[in-house]
Amino acid sequence: MPTTIVTGRDITFTIDGDTYDAQATAATLTIESTINTYQTLDGKAYYTTDTQGTFDVEMLADWTAGGSLCASLWNAADSAPNTPLAVVFTAASGSVFNFSVQPIFPSAGGTAPDAQTVSLSFTCVTTPTL
Amino acid sequence: MPTPTSIQANVRAPLATALAGVTASVYESVPEAVIPPAAIIVPGTPYLETTLISSSIQLKVNFTISAAVAYNNNAGALDNLEKLVIQILAAIPSGYIVGDVSRPSIVALGSSNLLISDIDVSTYYKQEN
Repeated sequence: MPTTIVTGRDITFTIDGDTYDAQATAATLTIESTINTYQTLDGKAYYTTDTQGTFDVEMLADWTAGGSLCASLWNAADSAPNTPLAVVFTAASGSVFNFSVQPIFPSAGGTAPDAQTVSLSFTCVTTPTL
Repeated sequence: MPTPTSIQANVRAPLATALAGVTASVYESVPEAVIPPAAIIVPGTPYLETTLISSSIQLKVNFTISAAVAYNNNAGALDNLEKLVIQILAAIPSGYIVGDVSRPSIVALGSSNLLISDIDVSTYYKQEN
C-alpha cells in the first residue's frame, strides 16, 4: 500500500454553515481522554471516564469584509452564547467529523506590520462523530 | 459567478495605481530602462506562499518595492531616497503588510548610478475562476 499523505490543503470546515476556507490558516480538532489508572493485584488496569474535544482555529481577521466570519462569530457569542454551533470538519476527503461547539468571542486587533489574526479555541459540546 | 482574477490585474496594477501619487516613476514590473526617481514593484522572495488551508488557490504574495533616486551626491541622494520611501510608505493601500526598508545601496545602471532601497510588502490573494 502506498504511503498516504494528507496536508492542510485537504482541510475544509464550516461553522454554523459558514465556510472558513478563505480565512483559516490552521484548524485542529483534539479529543482529550481522561483515563484513570488502577494498580491491581494483576497489574495495571485502565478506565476512560471522560472525553473532551477542543477545536482550535487560526484565521486571518476579516472584520471589514462583507459577510465577515469574525462578525458572525461575535454575533453568535453575543446573541446566543448557550446555543451550540454545528461544525463540519473535513480532515481529508471522506473523513468528515461532525460536532457542535460552544460560541466564543473572537479576539480583535494585532501588531503594527502584520496581518491581524484571530486565534479561537472552541470547546466541543458533543463528541465528534466520524 | 465571480469575475476571474489575476495577480497582475488585482494586485500589482492596483498597487502601482496606489503609488501613482508619489513623485516618482512607478513601474509594476521590471522596466527596460529606469527613469529616477522611481518606484519599481518586483516579486519578493519567496514570491507566492500558500498559507491558508484547503485546496483553493489562496496565496500570500510578497513584493519588493525598490525605491530608486539618482546618485549625484551622497547627502542629497540619501535625503531624496528617504523622502521617496516615506511617500511610498504613506501611499501603500490597506490590506498590505509593510516590512522593513533595506539599507541603501548604489546600483550602476547604464551610465548613471542609482541609490536604491528595497521595501518589503505583502498581501493576500485569492484566485476566482
